[in-house]
Amino acid sequence: MIKKSFIPKLDDLLGGGIPEGVSVIFCAYPGVNSEAFGYQMLNGRLEEGDNGFVFTNIAEPDTITYEFNSYGWDLETMLEEEQVFFVDGSSHFIGAPPNGRYIIEDYSQIEEAVIKAIRDVPNGIGLINNLSTLIDYLGNEDTLNIIKKWNEIAKEKKTTLVYIFTEWDYDKNFIDEIKNSVDCVVHLKTIEERVIIGQGFMVAGASWTKPSDIMVLFFVMQPGGVKVYIPKILVTGPYNAGKSSFVKAISTKSVSVDRQALGTIPTTIAMDIGHLDYKGFFADIFGTPGQERFDLILNVLSKEAVGAFVLVDSTAPETFGRAKEMIRKCRAEAIPKIIIANKQDIPGALAPEKIREMMKLGKDIPIVPAIATEKKGTTEALDVLLTLLYGD
Amino acid sequence: MVSKNMIEYDSTSPVKSDMNNCVESGIPGFDKFISDDENGIGGIPENTSTLIYGPPKTGKSVFCYQFMYHGLSKNEPCLYLTTDYGIKQLQQRMMDFEWYLQGYMQDQMVYIIDALSSLSGTKMTDTSIYKPSSVQNPTDIMVKLGVGTIFVYRKSPKFRSIFDSLKILLAFNPDMLVVRILKAYIKRIKEAGGTAIIAHTEGTADIEIEEVIKKTADNVLRLDGELIKIERMPGIRKNEAQYQITDGGLIVL
Repeated sequence: MIKKSFIPKLDDLLGGGIPEGVSVIFCAYPGVNSEAFGYQMLNGRLEEGDNGFVFTNIAEPDTITYEFNSYGWDLETMLEEEQVFFVDGSSHFIGAPPNGRYIIEDYSQIEEAVIKAIRDVPNGIGLINNLSTLIDYLGNEDTLNIIKKWNEIAKEKKTTLVYIFTEWDYDKNFIDEIKNSVDCVVHLKTIEERVIIGQGFMVAGASWTKPSDIMVLFFVMQPGGVKVYIPKILVTGPYNAGKSSFVKAISTKSVSVDRQALGTIPTTIAMDIGHLDYKGFFADIFGTPGQERFDLILNVLSKEAVGAFVLVDSTAPETFGRAKEMIRKCRAEAIPKIIIANKQDIPGALAPEKIREMMKLGKDIPIVPAIATEKKGTTEALDVLLTLLYGD
Repeated sequence: MVSKNMIEYDSTSPVKSDMNNCVESGIPGFDKFISDDENGIGGIPENTSTLIYGPPKTGKSVFCYQFMYHGLSKNEPCLYLTTDYGIKQLQQRMMDFEWYLQGYMQDQMVYIIDALSSLSGTKMTDTSIYKPSSVQNPTDIMVKLGVGTIFVYRKSPKFRSIFDSLKILLAFNPDMLVVRILKAYIKRIKEAGGTAIIAHTEGTADIEIEEVIKKTADNVLRLDGELIKIERMPGIRKNEAQYQITDGGLIVL
């Protein structure tokens, strides 16, 4: 029987949902709100009528009930009705009154208490929050053995086990072993440029299906929980660099707002808007006007964007200064960016490395040669964007 | 994630770190003490992490308050992770030195992650600049630190960050996990261009872990109640000086 995950879009990536009795791990880069995923899955299943438990070693049960409440989920009533219970691995250690069906007073008791809890909720769901905190108490080897044992019993009892795991600086082989011990691995990643500007989830593997390897961007709301959103990608650059052509070239559909003829070259005085659907990655594309008097728009848009294409006319080095100014305006809000060296078909076009030299760009800012009007280089540009966003 | 080494920053970046730039501490005599410059112009190197450790009651937290408060007076926002004192105690302790945080909180110049108040069972309501967390929940601390970093960075790419201290975290978590948190904290602040101070009470972790903690920060200072000692600060010679805790905060003599 397939169960829902109650995380938007996740079931689509997992071939429809989660078979009973499987284990799922949410592996989060430090800084990503992984707990919300576990809480949301548990709450969804409880609301469907399943039974469940929460093992906590990160906060006493009252605090977790309060957290659920802040998401708008009523754990308290379900606790009163004994549809869900706690394995309290926290209170004793901070001197608070214990509150759970099973109480941990020593870390050696955790293995057995969780086994009992799994057996108490056949066909239900158990949440282990947090696996990382167990590791440094129990040691790598013991933790792995315990996970394997829990997963076997969960399979037998058809109980879904959900682990919350923060990828601190553990040994890579050990992290791989942890991931190999479970049926399904969901990565929770950050999109960063100096600071975290976005978060996304990707399914790295599932034993029952070949998952789609796309990243879904999300944010967490209180109340509300995990919400997915369509990110904004900015296309910017100096006047006449070919931004409108580029937006058109990468979009499945696009529209140029208020495109008017000013002098001999038609230019955009409001913005180009397009929608990107590339290898399963969806984004709204915003092409900004190049003229300085519209920099306010650039500033506003860059606050919400997760990436930017900066177009330069490879034949017009006199505009590179302006392009750098526009990069700085994007950087003010810190977003990953790719330089598009456009108009490579025109005689005298400078090669990407020459442009890098003239613009004094760091070696790791990608520069992609392109001819936007012929859709040349656009696929490469999109692949570079996905590499930047998806990371390793 | 997109790691920093994937995307470098060009030389014109206004937030690029520069080891020649220093951050004024606000502690009389201190900036001159840690400077080799004959003019006495110095301070904590910008965009570095500094561990301040020593026995209890030697002024480590006062150093942190003073460093934060001086930054605020210069319009440099501060991201403050407090694990030893709750928000109320923090404000009261600062008031003892006539450093008033309230106004800066109203101006949203300080972003506080309070990992202690929840221990007393108090359910604190979060605001745009105040986030309760838990000393037992490093995952949550890092989530709030991530959001806080964006907040202060958008106020000013030149910002300060305080982590005061490792003591309570060490009491409620395995030592090695605390080291992992410390590394993640330093990475997060330095990538954002901030300057971090971390306070640590000597003797609250195993000796081996204490050594690891000292190696994790760029700079190491020890306070023993009488002397402040530079144990490590790249480019600065090892040195020590007398200091006092006065009504106006620390003074290096």
